[in-house]
Amino acid sequence: MEIKETAVAGTLESSDIQIMISKATDGIQIDLQSDVEKQFGDQIRQVITKTLNDLDITAAKVKAVDKGALDCVIKARTIAAAQRASQTTDQPAWEVL
Amino acid sequence: MAENEERLRRTMMFVPGNNPAMVKDAGIYGADSIMFDLEDSVSLSEKDAARVLVYEALQTQDYGNAELVVRVNGQDTEFYANDVKAMVKAGIDVIRLPKAESADMVKQLETDILAAEKEFGREEGSTHLMAAIESAKGVLNAPQIAAASDRMIGIALSAEDYTTDMKTHRYPDGAELEFARNMVLHAARAAGVAAFDTVFTNMDDTEGFYRETEYIHQLGFDGKSLVNPRQIEMVNKVYEPTEKEVLNAKNVINAIEEARLKGSGVISMNGQMVDRPVVLRAQRVMRLAKASNLVNEEGNYIEK
Amino acid sequence: MDNQIVDLYLSNPKVKRDWEDFLTSLKITNFSANEVDQIDYTIGIYSGDDLVATGSVAGNVLKYIGVCNKGVTTGSRFNAIVSELVNRQFANHIYHLFVFTKLKYSDSFQHIGFSELAHSDEAAFLETGSPDVNDFLTDIPRVDDQSDKQVAGIVMNANPFTRGHRYLVEQAASENDLVYVFVVNTDASLFTTEERFQLVKDGTVDLDNVIVVNGGDYMVSYATFPAYFLASPDQAVTYQTTLDARIFRNVIAPALNITTRYVGSEPLSRTTSIYNDVLTRELPSAVEVKVIDRDQTLTSDHQVITATQVRQFIKKGEISSLTAFVPETTAQFIQNHLTTLQKRIQEGMNIDGN
Repeated sequence: MEIKETAVAGTLESSDIQIMISKATDGIQIDLQSDVEKQFGDQIRQVITKTLNDLDITAAKVKAVDKGALDCVIKARTIAAAQRASQTTDQPAWEVL
Repeated sequence: MAENEERLRRTMMFVPGNNPAMVKDAGIYGADSIMFDLEDSVSLSEKDAARVLVYEALQTQDYGNAELVVRVNGQDTEFYANDVKAMVKAGIDVIRLPKAESADMVKQLETDILAAEKEFGREEGSTHLMAAIESAKGVLNAPQIAAASDRMIGIALSAEDYTTDMKTHRYPDGAELEFARNMVLHAARAAGVAAFDTVFTNMDDTEGFYRETEYIHQLGFDGKSLVNPRQIEMVNKVYEPTEKEVLNAKNVINAIEEARLKGSGVISMNGQMVDRPVVLRAQRVMRLAKASNLVNEEGNYIEK
Repeated sequence: MDNQIVDLYLSNPKVKRDWEDFLTSLKITNFSANEVDQIDYTIGIYSGDDLVATGSVAGNVLKYIGVCNKGVTTGSRFNAIVSELVNRQFANHIYHLFVFTKLKYSDSFQHIGFSELAHSDEAAFLETGSPDVNDFLTDIPRVDDQSDKQVAGIVMNANPFTRGHRYLVEQAASENDLVYVFVVNTDASLFTTEERFQLVKDGTVDLDNVIVVNGGDYMVSYATFPAYFLASPDQAVTYQTTLDARIFRNVIAPALNITTRYVGSEPLSRTTSIYNDVLTRELPSAVEVKVIDRDQTLTSDHQVITATQVRQFIKKGEISSLTAFVPETTAQFIQNHLTTLQKRIQEGMNIDGN
């Protein structure tokens, strides 16, 4: 999946996570802000990275603002943001869901 | 009518599909059915995100024994096809079609569900469906809609759009819904599926909520759609059987058991033959009694 | 449903009255046309018939955020409103947003992903999204060993680039190893941003140690300093320029090793004069402020050179008067585009401001 433009999914409300994905030249860089960064920062980054890799995205700049999201929410928001960024919202990535 | 065991459907709680906090907690309130909404509660720009969120939640969250329903976007929208596919893949129990106006719309949904079941390797026929009646046309076609598919589990009246279509709005006494309620109810009963009443949105009017729930309970609705978890307990209270009803039902159950032991094909009680509707009602009362914690393991009424 | 976000149409007098009353109860009281007319849209949350939260957007700036937390978890409505505004702007492909807010609310915004660019005793200025100030700074060209060099900065609108501007740049270039000229990015002047930028570049092409850069959203932009573009009371100018100056001092200057800021003395424009005073108060000692006297750039017949005067000449078509005021490059451009420029003036472009 190719990132064509900056895109965002998710909100800043409790139990959600806002994920912004933009183009990058190499690697996945994640700028994460979370109240539970100390306890769960690595896990949140891991869910985002794995989801992007599953979508065949290997280079991206990610800004994430976490408000206590469960893993399934993190995955859902990452998929939604990535599909928006690659302009493929109308063709869901069935193999990754 | 879907070949599933009849179950209690007193409460169908609406959960906005793009709200993670509510999607996450939907299972803790004890609703009989949980309806994740991809339609009216989700803004146009968030349709894709809500679909993925509900999908992922269904994969990981534990919603207990609740029947899981998803309201997809209407057939005339660009979101409908992917909504149906995603929810079939997610293994949802029931897909709810909004704005149903004809049997053909239901048949179209059935075709789309079947295609998705094949595509994603789900057991064919395992995805049930229901239809929401939201217009004059829908009300008049309710009998055909309710009987349009073997997968059908029920039909629901949705009063907000319906009253708009009727050039009125909702009133406290519900007179404007009288015809529609009876139509939907009769269509459901004739087709052997469940009937769900519409939502009651004024959370501050507890008295009005009880009045309306008692009314639809009296008519014979299976239950009510809800927008707030606080309403679940209130509906359950209205649907709670009386001690007399429970004792009577228990007698019928005992009579069935006795007939079974005797190997008799005829169930009799007090010298009268017990026919099927009576058996079904007794079974339903016992299910309600159990759900309301009114009976013990053996089905005997617990004295308070 | 409770806590549903709805659109507020301020064109409806009753809605506008409720909105003003609600904000006034939260001590937000500036409803001057200047401010309110900039609003693109407004949203709100009602509890029953009462407005309990609202927020608006003007371009890339969030405005008039007001929330009542009575009866709900503190912050939930605030998060809902800001979230909705941010998401709507993102959906409109505006990925970089700002907010001016009272200092005490800075933490609330930081809690939901905003970064503070600067604050004063009463106000804070924050941004969120992408590209942010770090991206802006990363993209600015550098020279080798810049950290050992004497570097200066100038911020100008250059509407258009005059001999006065040229003198300012020359002075800085002669006294420093490197000079950054930041051209105001906001497109609200007679000459477009692209034109102003090009005129500065063309007018300084012979100065090897000058780098012309678009000032982005961080220097005298519509976001940081709206009063530069809209007639505003002195208090607002001071308030905004304090934050503008602190962004330059705390964020821009250190990243580029800028230790001196050059400004022209300002006998004619009140707003720019206040700005210069604030810069002189705020920048030292981190950044020295050098004020270059306008009197040194009088025309041969002793007129003060101002871009305002140049725009008057354009309006009147007095091309021959131009050469005393602007460099050859600017004069040439004006001559070539005179009808276009005059048309913009006829169509209502204000040429009396900055």
